[in-house]
Amino acid sequence: MREEKLWQIIKRQDANGEFCESAETPRSVMPRRTFVELMGFAAAAAALGGCRAPEQKIIAYVKQPVEFTPGVANWYASTCGGCPAACGTLVKVRDGRPIKLEGNPEHPLSKGGLCAVAHGLVFGLYDGERLRQPLSKTQAATWEDVDQQIKWQLTTIKQSGGKVRLLSAPTSSPTSRQTIDNFLQQFADGKHIVYRGVSNAAIGAAHWQTHNVAALPVYHFDKARVIVSFSADFLGAWISPMQFTRDYSAGRNLQAEKRELSRHIQFESRLSLTGSNADKRVKVSSAEEMDALLLLAKFIATKANAAKQNDFAAIHAERLAPKILQAVEQAANELWQHRGESLVVSGANDTDAQRLVNFINQTLGNYGKTLEVNATTQQRMENDGDMMELMREMNAGEVAALIIVDANPAYDFFNSREFKNGLAKVGLKVSLNAYLDETSALVDYVCPRHHTLEAWDDAEPATGVFSLAQPTIAPLFQTRAWQESLLRWSNDERKFYEVLRGRWQEKIFPQQSKYAKFDEFWDSSLHDGVLVVEAKTTATNAAFTANTKASTTPAAFTVVTKTPATQPAFTVATKASTTSAALSVATKIPAPPIAFVADDLSAAIKRFDERAANAVGKLNLVLYEKIALRDGALANNPWLQELPDPISKVTWDNYACISPALAEKLKLEDGRVVRLSKGDTTIELPVYIQAQQHDDCIAIAVGYGRTKAGKIGNGVGVNSYPLGAFDNGTFQYQTADITIEKTLAKVELALTQRHNTLDGRPLIKELSLAEVVKGYSETASESAPSKSIWQDHAYLEHKWGMVIDLNACTGCSACLLSCQAENNVPVVGKDEVRRQREMHWLRIDRYYQSDNDQERVVYQPVMCAQCENASCESVCPVLATVHSSEGLNMQVYNRCVGTRYCANNCPYKVRRFNWFEYEHPDPIANLALNPDVTVRSRGVMEKCTFCVQRIEEAKIQARNEDREIKDGEIQTACQQSCPTQAIVFGDLVNLESRVNKLKHDKRDYILLEELNLQPAISYLAKVRNVEGEKTSGT
Amino acid sequence: MSLRTAKIVSLLVTLIGAIVLWQGSTFSSLGNQQGYEPVQPINFSHKLHAGDNQIACLYCHSGADKSKVAGIPAASTCMNCHQRILKDSPEIQKITRAIDENKPIEWVKVNDLPDHAIFNHSRHVIASIKCQQCHGAVETMDRISQADTLSMGSCVACHRSHREVTLDEVGRPVVSEEATAKKLMASTDCSVCHH
Repeated sequence: MREEKLWQIIKRQDANGEFCESAETPRSVMPRRTFVELMGFAAAAAALGGCRAPEQKIIAYVKQPVEFTPGVANWYASTCGGCPAACGTLVKVRDGRPIKLEGNPEHPLSKGGLCAVAHGLVFGLYDGERLRQPLSKTQAATWEDVDQQIKWQLTTIKQSGGKVRLLSAPTSSPTSRQTIDNFLQQFADGKHIVYRGVSNAAIGAAHWQTHNVAALPVYHFDKARVIVSFSADFLGAWISPMQFTRDYSAGRNLQAEKRELSRHIQFESRLSLTGSNADKRVKVSSAEEMDALLLLAKFIATKANAAKQNDFAAIHAERLAPKILQAVEQAANELWQHRGESLVVSGANDTDAQRLVNFINQTLGNYGKTLEVNATTQQRMENDGDMMELMREMNAGEVAALIIVDANPAYDFFNSREFKNGLAKVGLKVSLNAYLDETSALVDYVCPRHHTLEAWDDAEPATGVFSLAQPTIAPLFQTRAWQESLLRWSNDERKFYEVLRGRWQEKIFPQQSKYAKFDEFWDSSLHDGVLVVEAKTTATNAAFTANTKASTTPAAFTVVTKTPATQPAFTVATKASTTSAALSVATKIPAPPIAFVADDLSAAIKRFDERAANAVGKLNLVLYEKIALRDGALANNPWLQELPDPISKVTWDNYACISPALAEKLKLEDGRVVRLSKGDTTIELPVYIQAQQHDDCIAIAVGYGRTKAGKIGNGVGVNSYPLGAFDNGTFQYQTADITIEKTLAKVELALTQRHNTLDGRPLIKELSLAEVVKGYSETASESAPSKSIWQDHAYLEHKWGMVIDLNACTGCSACLLSCQAENNVPVVGKDEVRRQREMHWLRIDRYYQSDNDQERVVYQPVMCAQCENASCESVCPVLATVHSSEGLNMQVYNRCVGTRYCANNCPYKVRRFNWFEYEHPDPIANLALNPDVTVRSRGVMEKCTFCVQRIEEAKIQARNEDREIKDGEIQTACQQSCPTQAIVFGDLVNLESRVNKLKHDKRDYILLEELNLQPAISYLAKVRNVEGEKTSGT
Repeated sequence: MSLRTAKIVSLLVTLIGAIVLWQGSTFSSLGNQQGYEPVQPINFSHKLHAGDNQIACLYCHSGADKSKVAGIPAASTCMNCHQRILKDSPEIQKITRAIDENKPIEWVKVNDLPDHAIFNHSRHVIASIKCQQCHGAVETMDRISQADTLSMGSCVACHRSHREVTLDEVGRPVVSEEATAKKLMASTDCSVCHH
């Protein structure tokens, strides 16, 4: 169905949507002369009419809140509700409205990093398409009526003993799960099903079998010297990407004196963000990936002389190409050499694969060191088997009531038809989703929940790490916290806040000893946003009491412990969390050792081997999550839709990624629409030729093709969930049964980068670790100072500068959205991106490289470099871009007449022109704007300002307090959110500043140095831990 | 209006506009609201409060030394005194009513800067710039009126005079040992106000 017609429809939708151009579009039919005349009229009319500005009102408070001064931002520590990873946030509230989220540096897991999804939440809060009141059979209703009707029906069910099912997205909030459990306990047969479109249930299921812990372990990528990942996109969208990115970069930080790098080997078929950052990326097909995992397990078992090595006798590793065999062997050697400080992860949602991974980690002695199950993570708790059981019950007409919280299976369940059929047979159907989405449209009652920025909540992302989420604005619409809805229907009239506070008083307050009074404890926890309780509670929480039944927490995936198996094969005395950053503090009661159960791997190995054999030589489909849109729940967010994918650089779409060789074989080109069929499921979507992808792989992102997301998200891309499957107890996102067919249709993808290679240009410098360790001899300062016709600038107070560490940057694009939120950067829409008119002030250039048969990807964030000899400044005819006394290259919007000479003359191509008046017709959406940054109008040039509003604010603050600005006091928006701390900003006049020191690092270089622009931004060279150079060499 | 009429009118108006613009003074006063003195919802007299009774500006405009904006006092602030003083006056009754109905008073803004100019009260108040420097002799005004042009010229003139830096013949600052950060006061960089 993807034909030209469809695109026309989308264009029309754009015109009704939020980012339409204003009345005069370049496609208008008005003759130029008439246009000029009318413009003259308009100008004159404006001049005459503008003699007196319109009357403006100042509306003062009736009673001013105590903690609040108009014009001064308040910051609240909270917890991100974008995904169950629950990173720590600081919410900036100006004049009563949250306008920006930043990472909370004191959060023990995310440590200040904040991803693109979190930044998008601000836009989501002011989305006028959120439901504004409860609905009863799609008609607006009052809360009283809805409550009354639902309660009446639930009472009937209670009496008849019917099945009540609560289907929710995974939540890391213990109080919310408690509320769900209390609600379900009213019924004779109540059950909580945790479901997510893209599941990681296999990890928990595998740990249930291998460690008697039905939960995901806590990973410590920072402690791993060797990381081997089998298509786990842990820097992109896997479980808790910000936490992992932060930890990963900590093990690879060269900014300090340290000269060590962890080594990262990735086996994968599609090119993921994580794979693109690997020191060594082994391109394998899906079948080869399975074989490689088997073989790695075999090598490790042999090295350890484990009892299980015989189980591997029957595997067919000889299928592997010699090159891959060799890579696996080398990986095994490196892992073995660093046993106890290595980590193997797999992104496959397959219990057999995860059991093999557990076996490898166990044999290497990594448990208790680089990953632990004594403390588990609650960031993902979905259970795919429960969901399938629910489908069966629903279709058999057994379910009396289904309550849906934040789940949308009508869209993201692989067999949504089955879900819809089953739903029709459910007696009472209630949705608590915030939108009238695909699922909510089919239910009896929709009781919209608050946005996460409006609601109280808590989270326990890892055992012992508790955080609070607090409302930062009064609810905009007549919504209600979803937990409160459940409380009402449990005949509990309390506010959820009271429940939350009560539970903290009861459960968490006794675990600490710092505060004697609960009120003080509560205030301090709320102030900090996060609390790490001492390890002794870890012990009590996850203790191995043999009789711990799931009685208190019947939820599928809480830390349910089963009686330890009779004969633990390996008993690893875990040092519990003494070394863990998240769970610091000395252990008072030593945590019980977690036993590795004598898991019979042979069946799993055989099954896995057969599956690999089945896939050999076939085209394999891989479904994946993109970093911005993830599972598609936030599809109605234009910031996320327009964020370029870090690898493909495509916006506003999903597509079938195929390798260049496959494209050539099938005679396909970029944008050619193909028909993909699996059984009777067929989808049509355009092709994107992805370099460095395996030839037997077709990769498609999920999260697109929403039909009821809202005006923005509807019809963007194609829904690829139907190509998923359920097999071996979990949802599968890979399949070998796929056929691809070329169609006649072709579309133009909205790309932000079209040139993909460096072509020998020295834009990105790369070094090997050995060169860094030895001392990189060739320094930038050795070149003779270039002659300039300009006079030097004199700096008395400050000279702002920045260093970007390319070795730290993973390309995750969190900075991009942070900048967009801070600086009121408009969204332009798909059509304008196709014309290369995107407005992002910061872009991340991605280049593919290949040398000596080793393929690599490099990223380079580029924004205005605030040049000393700025080429833009010398060509502006109206002095709209001039140099400041602090080294900034100022862009004065009110002077700019839009000649665009500056953009033309900028070698970095970082200037952006407002081709249109990007209106915000929805007054609610305007509340997301930052009042400290001018909203630019049409015909004006703009670019990165180094967040000058933050500089000015800090300068004023320092002067008001009669002190100097401290180094690190000013953080640009991009810098603040960077999970790898790749961006360092500061004052170059201050010789002690961090940025100044990094500028003297031997890795420092200047982009396009030969032009002698003397930019204030310089880069630190990328360093790879290439083979032969052992990290232990230092 | 037909397109033809629109054309004719627009041409005429453009011509007239051009002539008007030729007269430089007219152009420079465009957007100048000096002397603007709108009627306020309550007959509040700054002369009585700030002049005769010597109430400090910051008592009511409490944000002026902390925030970008000086702030308009909440109705409850007025009642700190007016609970006792003149509580039967019809003007005070308006405030009482506002509190009773929880309906804020809508004052008309007098001193208004364009949206692309960002001004911070706290920096100026703490640097001991008198309120009257921009707002005029407020203590003599019964009804507030805009005393200054509040044009960029008036801002920059002051910023230039508060900059203790010697400039060379090209207008660039001369770096000297004495020129410490503290001496450098008001900046004339565009981005100080326009960002």
